[in-house]
Amino acid sequence: MRKLLLILALTFACKKPPEPAKSNVTVGATLPLTGAEARIGGFYKEGYELAFEQQSAKGGLSLGGKLVPVTLVLQDDTSTQATAVALADQLINSAKVDALLGTYSSHLVEAQSAIAEENRIPYVNGGGGASEIYQRNYKYLFGLMAPVELLGEALMGWIDDQQSQNKLPKPARISLVWENTAHGKDFRKGVTAFAAKHKGQYEVVVDESFELSAKDFSALLNKVKASNADIFLADAHLPDYITMHRQYVTAGLCHKVISYGARGSEKQAAEALGQKNVEYVLSAVWWNQQLGTKGLTKAFVDAFQARYKRAPEWYQALAYETARALFTAMEQAGTADKEKVREKLASFSGDSILPEGKLSFPSAQGQQAHYAFVVQQNQPDGTSPIVWPKAVANAPGVAPNPDCAAAQ
Amino acid sequence: MRFVELLVAAVLLAGLYAMMAYGLGLIYGVLRIVNLAHGGMIMAGAYLGLALHDRLGMDPLLSLPLIAVVSWSFGWLLYRFVVRHLPRGATGGAQSLLLLFGVWLVMRNAVYLIFTGNDQAIRTAWSTHAWKLAGVSLPVNRVIVFGLAMLALGGLHFLLTRTYVGKAIRAVAQNPDSCTRAGIDVEKVYALTFGLGSALAGVAGLLGATIFSFNPSFGSVELLKSFVVVVMGGLGSVAGTASAALVLALVEVFAILVLPSYLTGAVGFVLLVLVLVLRPGGLFGQKVLG
Amino acid sequence: MKLGIALSAAALVALALLPFALSPYTHNLMTLSFLFVATALAWNWLGGYAGQISFGHAAMFGTGGFVAARILLAGALPPPLAWIAGGLVAGAYALIWGHPTLRLRGPYFSIATIGVGEATRLVFTYWDKFTGGSSGLSLPMVPGAKRTLYWEALAFLALIAVASWAIRRSRLGLALFAIRGDVEAAADVGISATFYQDLVLFLSGAATGIAGGIYASYFSFIEPNDMLGFDRSISFVLMAVIGGVGTILGPVLGAVVFVLLRQFLIGSYPQLYLGLYGALLIAVILFEPLGLMGLGHRLVRRAAR
Repeated sequence: MRKLLLILALTFACKKPPEPAKSNVTVGATLPLTGAEARIGGFYKEGYELAFEQQSAKGGLSLGGKLVPVTLVLQDDTSTQATAVALADQLINSAKVDALLGTYSSHLVEAQSAIAEENRIPYVNGGGGASEIYQRNYKYLFGLMAPVELLGEALMGWIDDQQSQNKLPKPARISLVWENTAHGKDFRKGVTAFAAKHKGQYEVVVDESFELSAKDFSALLNKVKASNADIFLADAHLPDYITMHRQYVTAGLCHKVISYGARGSEKQAAEALGQKNVEYVLSAVWWNQQLGTKGLTKAFVDAFQARYKRAPEWYQALAYETARALFTAMEQAGTADKEKVREKLASFSGDSILPEGKLSFPSAQGQQAHYAFVVQQNQPDGTSPIVWPKAVANAPGVAPNPDCAAAQ
Repeated sequence: MRFVELLVAAVLLAGLYAMMAYGLGLIYGVLRIVNLAHGGMIMAGAYLGLALHDRLGMDPLLSLPLIAVVSWSFGWLLYRFVVRHLPRGATGGAQSLLLLFGVWLVMRNAVYLIFTGNDQAIRTAWSTHAWKLAGVSLPVNRVIVFGLAMLALGGLHFLLTRTYVGKAIRAVAQNPDSCTRAGIDVEKVYALTFGLGSALAGVAGLLGATIFSFNPSFGSVELLKSFVVVVMGGLGSVAGTASAALVLALVEVFAILVLPSYLTGAVGFVLLVLVLVLRPGGLFGQKVLG
Repeated sequence: MKLGIALSAAALVALALLPFALSPYTHNLMTLSFLFVATALAWNWLGGYAGQISFGHAAMFGTGGFVAARILLAGALPPPLAWIAGGLVAGAYALIWGHPTLRLRGPYFSIATIGVGEATRLVFTYWDKFTGGSSGLSLPMVPGAKRTLYWEALAFLALIAVASWAIRRSRLGLALFAIRGDVEAAADVGISATFYQDLVLFLSGAATGIAGGIYASYFSFIEPNDMLGFDRSISFVLMAVIGGVGTILGPVLGAVVFVLLRQFLIGSYPQLYLGLYGALLIAVILFEPLGLMGLGHRLVRRAAR
């Protein structure tokens, strides 16, 4: 009750006086720690926390020759847009943070970044990959995820290579299902554009959307089943991947190539579905720890391994890199001043743990980073080697799916 | 081939729908109360099954009787301490509707606090297996769920038509006043019926949880589908409920031939409104436990 | 009565001057409260006056919001006209499903509205050309517009409050109360339930739609699952019922408490507020059918004694 009164009092309180010079930098963030995206929200949290711990171990941020402690205010947006928006508003206008780190998943980032833009506060995210978010040309929004269209393209690149080796039929019939979000639409664009460019090689026989966090995909899978496709390409978030693939398996489906977009190699999926059922699933991701053989990337993989006793996945890497990019920009600007940090981020260019080793936020792309995806494929032994692009591949990959022959 | 596969899918789905709906129809038929907490009971059954499975390693098939008993007791208590004090029938409808809706909200949030809002699923050894029969694949879990639902409905039919308790329930449904005169404890029958409806919902939730993933809002769609079935199938008749469930499942499954699969979920809701509008008056069927 | 009018006018002036002294955070909360208070009042015309409990009002909130957003994105009309257009479409949509279903009484109508609400939500999330799918729509942000929107929301609230009072005292209000009491008796004295219920649903739907439009402008981002979700519909019911069904001040109280409680809990227990409201709802039905208003009256009477 007293707290409620406090809220009431706050509600009617007048504007606070201007703040004195910073003795402490606070960075706000929300993540989906519960709700549909809870698992991945937890991964991002690990990445953020590692970055903040490392920075604090150095004594904080070096701003204009002075070490200033930096703290993270992290809250749970419950995987819903309304909460993400309300919390961002609270963080900016009530907790008075100096900058925001993004939440995870495109539809939450899209909603939340509007609040940051409106309040003119830097918003750096590694969780929103849909290009639609950046087409709004916001000035305070920076994204580390390469566009999802490139993801669809990367998958098709490997498939095309397999087809040219006559491992897949020509034309190959594609069943394309995508979540009904900007993320899914970008994925679909990437795949259909590729198919259109390679006339006669691919035929998209199912092209359907599904609701984010649906609980039952039977209707969709019945349609996929009826289409008799060779290739099953889906774009789904982790919980949807697990639910859908479980129903996929029990419906007796099997395709020569199976992919759930960026999902597939997660340990949780193998545990939930059984190793046998996730074999040969193809996925294209923003980062893979097998890239970590030297330099920054290796340092990150080692530090993560030491802190959490397991290897990082792309989720933690992107979160870590997102926080690091903000720190670097603040140190380069020599201040936590929102406008100066924004300018530094806009002209940012630096070494990175991301696949091409460099990070920048090109203004032509609405300040969304661009780099190539890595395609990986689950193997029966539980590993997921990189199969594409050829320059970084450490295995050829398997097509068509050997399990289908046994099933039929 | 395709037709047969869709048909099989629809029939298997219908079993679960019938079970979800029957509890709702039974409570309405006897007490004249629309139990909006039905969705909450379905959800509670799912989470109870999850807790027993994950913490104690109990297979859902084993925990089923336990969940039936727990849900029955919950329904009984809910009736004794809350629902009993409410007005019935057309004029008091809004009050009981809102109250049971409040119960549902509280249940949802209690579960949210205990289990968080994360998506859950009960995964058993049989949850990713399928049998092949003449080229048609039969998911094991769906077949089991269908079989159990049929068994439960059969048992219920027997209870209502062949036992003293069942006859008492039917008599109360038809005319509570004369029952009092005939020496039947009407309140006891009401509490029993409320428990029975809740037990059915809890078990349906448990069975559903082995097929779908779920979170605390699980049960709202199921509640609506139950309404569709009850409205179409009439009250208390096992055959009526089963055939209405089959119609709903068929319409939903075959809708993919003409609709994007995304919208097949809306088909049930549209059907609900249509049936309600086209059959006013006799909405919940005149046949009461016939 | 005169005192009441004077007090209301004073409150209105005070609220209108307030934004000069508000932090942006409080500013947002206040605007949100205005819109929810207005919507709760509009819900109450149907749910309280006519006794038809709708679990599907989010359908109109969303329709109004998206139509207004589309008009604003196309730059076809200035914001207030876009909201009104959105409201009219929402009202018309309410009539389309409401005309046949309003013949149903009590729980049957409520159940039908759950179906309507969910079906509308599914269609809206699917229809990405219009609504942007699950990702929703972003509206361009106009610097300084929030201050204006605050006043516009307040003006809209004042309008709805006056309308609530006027409807209660008008022939329409009397007819609705008669219908709520006994449809057949009302028909005997020449009150057409169909006409009056259709009319009030249209008004209620249109007002809800306009609120949706202002909401879209204020937050410059809308998304179908948030605008049309079942939780949204529930919140309208809860605000009105907990505040006091059928009264004017009740929904106002209910909505203000709702917004504050939700905001207070969102940081620590993001979803607990619905459960608390469920518990309140049970208490209200069992002990105080007139909600917070009834409780207030009781306290006043006790104090007077």
